[in-house]
Amino acid sequence: MSVPSPAEISRQPFPKLLKDRYFATRIDTIVTVTFGLLTLWLLWSFFEWAVLHAYVDPEDRDACVQSEGACWAVITARWRIVLFGLYPFEEQWRSALACLAIVLTTILSCLPSFWTALRLSLLWIVGFAAFYILMRGGILGLAPVSERDWGGLALTLFIFAAVVLIGMPLSIVFALLRRSNLPWISRTMGLVIDTIRSLPLLTIMFAFAVVIPFATPDWMNGQQLYRVIVGYAIFFACYQAEIIRGGIQSLPAGQEEAAKALGLGYWQRVGYIILPQAFRNALPPTINQVVITFKETSLVTIIGFFDILASGRAASGTGEWSFATIEVYVFVAFIFFVFVFSLSRYGAYLERRLGVGTR
Amino acid sequence: MQFVDRETTMKTTKQMMLATTVLTAFAGMSSAQVAEDSRLKTVLERGSLLCSGHNGSFQGFAEVDDEGNWQGVDIDLCRALAAGLFGASEGNLEIVPISWAQRWPALQSGDIDVVIKVSGWTQSRDTELNLAFSRPYFIGAFQAMAPADLDAESIADLTGGTICVGAGTSTERALATYLETKDIDAEVLTFENGDELRNSYFEGRCDGFVEWAPSLAASRADAPDGPENHTILPDVIALEAEGIVVPEGDDDWLDVQNWMLSSLWFAEMEGITSENVDDIRADPPSETVAKFLGVSPGYGERLGLSDDWAYNMIKEVGNFSELYERNIGSGSRYGLDRGINALYTNGGVFYPMIID
Repeated sequence: MSVPSPAEISRQPFPKLLKDRYFATRIDTIVTVTFGLLTLWLLWSFFEWAVLHAYVDPEDRDACVQSEGACWAVITARWRIVLFGLYPFEEQWRSALACLAIVLTTILSCLPSFWTALRLSLLWIVGFAAFYILMRGGILGLAPVSERDWGGLALTLFIFAAVVLIGMPLSIVFALLRRSNLPWISRTMGLVIDTIRSLPLLTIMFAFAVVIPFATPDWMNGQQLYRVIVGYAIFFACYQAEIIRGGIQSLPAGQEEAAKALGLGYWQRVGYIILPQAFRNALPPTINQVVITFKETSLVTIIGFFDILASGRAASGTGEWSFATIEVYVFVAFIFFVFVFSLSRYGAYLERRLGVGTR
Repeated sequence: MQFVDRETTMKTTKQMMLATTVLTAFAGMSSAQVAEDSRLKTVLERGSLLCSGHNGSFQGFAEVDDEGNWQGVDIDLCRALAAGLFGASEGNLEIVPISWAQRWPALQSGDIDVVIKVSGWTQSRDTELNLAFSRPYFIGAFQAMAPADLDAESIADLTGGTICVGAGTSTERALATYLETKDIDAEVLTFENGDELRNSYFEGRCDGFVEWAPSLAASRADAPDGPENHTILPDVIALEAEGIVVPEGDDDWLDVQNWMLSSLWFAEMEGITSENVDDIRADPPSETVAKFLGVSPGYGERLGLSDDWAYNMIKEVGNFSELYERNIGSGSRYGLDRGINALYTNGGVFYPMIID
């Protein structure tokens, strides 16, 4: 009896496929039934909690406290705090539009037709400017809103987008410096990268947010938000530089030698031969790094920023709703999931398109 | 206690008078001189006050309402301070959200002007960290809550059980000391996050839950199995006196904090509220009240402020009793008794200083 290959199995009719895959032997049957029931039970409990016994109307607050189910009423009553933080209430439409602008820009830049350096940079300049003008105001008749009052989803997206936008070009510079032929440059860069990579992100954020103002003159300090973004971007760049270096080193040496033999200069070699192939090789870990960066933005709450996690805590942190913390955390987790899951699905699409791993 | 304090106050007042007299004679000016490098000067020149908020919420003291506006005892003190400095807090006050760990560096670096963030007056903070505390405005007790079915009457009855507490807080240290001195053998479980701590207790992971009494009362009110199933044990593990914090060596700025608190208590003592302050100002019952509300000069000028600064504060946030009841007292969900935090005339420990 020969074992059918996965491709053969998936071509079989459904009942047979089910039997071959899940009920082939007695042990298979036991495992399938046990885990199937366990999964169903978990899903049912969640469904019961989240839907059947749940309350949505804020008027039902007192019933909620006693009930077994979820109390989504806290979200109905305070979702604007979770999404927009301390942004002035009447102006929150601006914050919503700004989030939309960043999401749209991200989606557009994922489309292959935008993949030229000129179009991508134009798109991001326009998208970012739109975000900043909407959020900050002060022109076009929009009331100014200080960065201190930014919060919720908009702040999380801003930090994430700014870190990746500053960090990505920086990482290429770092990677190239590290591979420089001049030992002084490559060793110094290596030392810098390794030092920063051996520090926890939290330490770096704390240092940039809190310690730097003691050490530098006033005019260099700027807003705390931008200091943190710069610190985080450097951190991101150090990790990403190592990923890119890995991509470069996986290229056969012949590639660069052939380019040299053709008489291409350094920038031509790097721009046309090395980096495009290195990026292709480094795509899976790059997506990974970007996803991690998105999730780690929530660390800024430690230095007092009202990111989506902190504003979630503020939403439940009042005498009226203090019992409903789990619902708020589930809501915030859902928002994170939507973004991170889309990011990683897009990464998978990119890998298929570029044929990573099939060469 | 009070006599000593009053004597000290009198002495200080005399010294201040002496100093003012000397200064007046020397500089030929009637108002007190505010030091060039004082925060008071910086804040007045900037035209806005940067006051501490919270990264999230601290129930009753700094929390966010449905429309994203800050409210709470600490926030109202910030508003009072801004109103005293600038006439009104609207447009002159920025609440900067900061974490617990960040408050001291943020104060020293000038990211915020003053820390009003339920901060206990401890010796290490007062000395090693170079901070200066105003007189306390709130006395918080650390107590324990236990499920009613344990029939515990004191913390000693929790021997052999598990007591849960927030990690790295002064509560944790106070609890450890308390257990050690009373020779109580209980396992202490620490939690980084307040929500997690509370949920663990209500899920039955802990036999005791040690917190600051106001937070404990808030948790108990919303216990999933009903407040009657939980008892707050009477033992006081530690008392913490919460004060307003400014950098050390800035006497002018500290004076403003102390006299702001004193003014709120003075208004309560005299029955001046945000409602009737205009009537009383139009027809002050005594010379002291007239001075207090800026009808006759002196009360603000000596601090380097306008003479109606106390009037502006009362107009904006009311007296201390109004501020308390609105945020954590009977007018709020927390319903916390004023208790020890009342004026001395009502059995508390607080009192206004003398206005002369």
